[in-house]
Amino acid sequence: MIIGIDVGGTYTDGVVIDKGEILDKVKIPTKPEDLLSSLLEALEQLIKASSKSEIERIVLSTTLITNLIATKQIEPVALVLIPGPGINPAFYNFGVPDVYVLSGAIDYRGREIEPLKEKEIQECVEAIRSRGIKRVAVVGKFSQRNNTHERTVAEYFAKNAPEIRLVMGHKVSSRLNFPRRVVTSLLTLATQEKYQNFYLQVKKALEEEKVDAPIYILKADGGTLPFEQSLKKPVETIFSGPAASTLGVLALTPPEQTSIVLDVGGTTTDLALILSGKPLLASRGACVDSYLTHVRAFATKSVPLGGDSVIEVRNGNLEILQQREGPAYCLGGPQPTPTDAMRVVGLTHIGDLRKAREALTKIGNELHLSPEKTAELILENVTRKIVAEIQKMFLAWEQEPAYRVWELLQEKKVRPQNIVGIGAAAPALIPLIGKKMGCQAVAPPHAEVANAIGAALAKVTLCRTYHFDTHRNFYFVEESGVQEKLPKRLSFLSDAEELAFSLLKKEGQELGIPSDEKPELVYSEMFNMVRGWRTIGRLFDVCVQFPPGILRSHLQRGDSGVS
Amino acid sequence: MSPRTGLVFFPAFDWAISPTHPEREERLLYTRDQIFEEGLLDLPEVCEYRARVATLKDVARVHFCIPDIRAQATDAHLIAAGGTLVLADALMKKEIRNGFALVRPPGHHAMRVVHGNRGFCNINNEAIMIEYLRKNYGIKKIAIVDTDVHHGDGTQDIYYNDPDVLFISFHQDGRTLYPGSGFPHEAGGPSAFGMTINIPLPPGTTDEGIHYVLDNLVLPIIEDFQPELIINSAGQDNHYTDPLANMRFTAQGYALLNAKLKPDLAVLEGGYAIESALPYVNTAIILAMAGLDYSCVREPDYKKENFVMPSGRMESIKVLVNQLQEIWKNRSELTEHVRKQKGGGEFAEERRSIFYDTDYIREQQKEKIRLCDRCPGYHLIESHGAYPNGSTKSIYAVAIPWQACPSCQEEARSHYRQYVEHPQGFDFIYLQDKPNDAYYQYCVREEKEISYE
Repeated sequence: MIIGIDVGGTYTDGVVIDKGEILDKVKIPTKPEDLLSSLLEALEQLIKASSKSEIERIVLSTTLITNLIATKQIEPVALVLIPGPGINPAFYNFGVPDVYVLSGAIDYRGREIEPLKEKEIQECVEAIRSRGIKRVAVVGKFSQRNNTHERTVAEYFAKNAPEIRLVMGHKVSSRLNFPRRVVTSLLTLATQEKYQNFYLQVKKALEEEKVDAPIYILKADGGTLPFEQSLKKPVETIFSGPAASTLGVLALTPPEQTSIVLDVGGTTTDLALILSGKPLLASRGACVDSYLTHVRAFATKSVPLGGDSVIEVRNGNLEILQQREGPAYCLGGPQPTPTDAMRVVGLTHIGDLRKAREALTKIGNELHLSPEKTAELILENVTRKIVAEIQKMFLAWEQEPAYRVWELLQEKKVRPQNIVGIGAAAPALIPLIGKKMGCQAVAPPHAEVANAIGAALAKVTLCRTYHFDTHRNFYFVEESGVQEKLPKRLSFLSDAEELAFSLLKKEGQELGIPSDEKPELVYSEMFNMVRGWRTIGRLFDVCVQFPPGILRSHLQRGDSGVS
Repeated sequence: MSPRTGLVFFPAFDWAISPTHPEREERLLYTRDQIFEEGLLDLPEVCEYRARVATLKDVARVHFCIPDIRAQATDAHLIAAGGTLVLADALMKKEIRNGFALVRPPGHHAMRVVHGNRGFCNINNEAIMIEYLRKNYGIKKIAIVDTDVHHGDGTQDIYYNDPDVLFISFHQDGRTLYPGSGFPHEAGGPSAFGMTINIPLPPGTTDEGIHYVLDNLVLPIIEDFQPELIINSAGQDNHYTDPLANMRFTAQGYALLNAKLKPDLAVLEGGYAIESALPYVNTAIILAMAGLDYSCVREPDYKKENFVMPSGRMESIKVLVNQLQEIWKNRSELTEHVRKQKGGGEFAEERRSIFYDTDYIREQQKEKIRLCDRCPGYHLIESHGAYPNGSTKSIYAVAIPWQACPSCQEEARSHYRQYVEHPQGFDFIYLQDKPNDAYYQYCVREEKEISYE
């Protein structure tokens, strides 16, 4: 028995699944100012529907961090940067007033090219203390290849300003891109305490309910993580809602297919892609509220167009505005909307038909069209806009830069088989979009809680990129920030891949990934390091992962999805 | 005009001439690390594009490849060339204000006739890009500034007699470095004398020396020529740490050069100090092209006092710049003189020997240029390649430039037809018919014509 809950911006959805069968589902409006109570309300109802002792796990997806960032409720953080040569550090704008730049530099191979200056560190600590700032992110360029500068500064803080909470950039993300590492470190630190608070309250509530099942949290990349482990980097939980929906669609459609996931809400339509059964990941990290981060996330797109978007006639042209002014006219709202158009042509049966006709008659009069023709025109407009966005998404994926000959020669020409609709207005819209794009419209059962199903069935994922340098006899891990000596001699690419898999499996075991789960090789490459016509060492880059996906073993009838 | 700088990054991480060759997988690895770590590709001023595969016709527009295009242009070559075309399109569609193709393998030593690889190059990326721009967007006047430490002899060869292309190359003196050419007297063919400008610089030339040449010769001549586009053939081996050359140029020097030159398109050429130079130089060039502050890009071991130009060498550069200014000023009269010198007959004839250092091929070439009063004339080329395995290949090639007058066009086409009928011992007969954008190769033994129309 598994419980999945997605606390979204508008609704909180939850399900209890047992052996592929949905025992209960809930949908309640989210209280934006009190996400916790929405979560607990849903949880309480779901626990009632299940037998407590049989709950294997509870998976949560929450918009908490996304909300904190979007509403600027994050804590003040000072940045201590060690940028070295490159872009003028004054050029970066991280949106915080306290930025301290230190001397010192590490190069791309992890060699120190300029030492730190102790006096500067000392002055920096004093300045931060005098400003009364309690949180500091220390981030160096190429710190992922040599963390000694970050560590030295951190140790200095620990000794001289122990009251300050500190994170080091290499621990947050070791992927290339210093500005994103700075931002991700900043957001990590700025949300940690509120997240921890949330964690403790959820734990407490469950204890009171006497539920001792392990709790997992869903991340933006569709993987789950034991709740406690997410305390280190709560920022990884942003955008878990769209990830949950995508996984839900994965669970509700046959495997290996290519689908467009269309989540039509009141004001926005969220798009995601599943390519041959694999959710498409964004090529770079997620962008949250104009912050570019290192957070690995599904490639999702939010189009400002939904069932409640306001429709107007301007200069004789029909226009769909980006704002919402309430529900559809047929549901008692103030303005005509796409939902009214759907009601008029009979694509939906929710709302008052008479009111819907009234709304469209008003628009139609201005355009000299009947309400029916007006409805068709509106839906044609909506469909065309969404199709254009879908095509842009495919194009962006096809046009992602490639750095290898074989990669560039790959024809990226997958075309969608299904358009899968979730969300209130989706079932009405997808047949129109499907027709335009030549693919099948699928409105799966339980679509209204697809996100909760996705959360419930999400697998624990683990992705690690190992960078082995035989010349410097060390390796580092992009995602975890580990920097160690090479444990064995590596001669060939196969040695490096073998080592990568064994390190990944070891870490996977600690996370509770079942031992029969097969990790996959994402990519691997080898570079001969040649100096003066002689090979002095090799660089191996190996990326391996337990990929995101759903626990198919919990699906009732193998391929056909949850019933 | 869009404020963005376009970037095609194609490091070809799975392609090398040989495992320990300077032109190997590792070459742009640290450059990738640096530009990714800087976050350059996230900047709103920079827009990254995916490279594409150039077509065989794109190559045929420039080269006579022996025995055929695919034998000279591997997938990697076609992608490097295609990367430049992506930026050419983006520039012409005004998606970007300028662009940098950070691609390998390089191309500026590849001449019109290609028997093999010379100076790490098989096909000429810049020339393929320029001919593409001319064909598809009607661009005519172009200035190429070759800033690689080696003389850009391939690009020079292709545009030697083209009056609408200004080719300027500054490089380490050919008496001290491959390919051993690029002297001031190499100033252009009988229809374009003065349009090729070679500036051999003494070994050890610093930022000061190169910027003197830029300020006093290159920029004023470009200003005078008024090209529609400026191309930087952007080698990075003038850098003071380059293992294959002996100059003293710095990342700051390169950045300032691009800030002053303002190239519309830059294409990476050589540069083999893959750790000590390329990461910094490329970062500096991208920032400079994007109009951003590059003042903090410095090599770790850079010390200003180590970069003083000996006064004697500076003097010799000044003398050279004066001489070249004179040639530019008097180019019309000099052209007349050159045409007379060539005998004033129907054809000007030139013979030369070309060595392919990478592939050990010796080529003997005889080139005749039709002297016409109405156009730059067409080219008739006989080329004989001696290969290291003892075999040989001989070709006869006819090249008709864009500007050719109708009668030259007809004459040239009849030369091709005549040789196809009577091959006179040649293995292949070629026709490069730019006015019709049609390219033919006749294989004598198989009696078969390949065409790109």
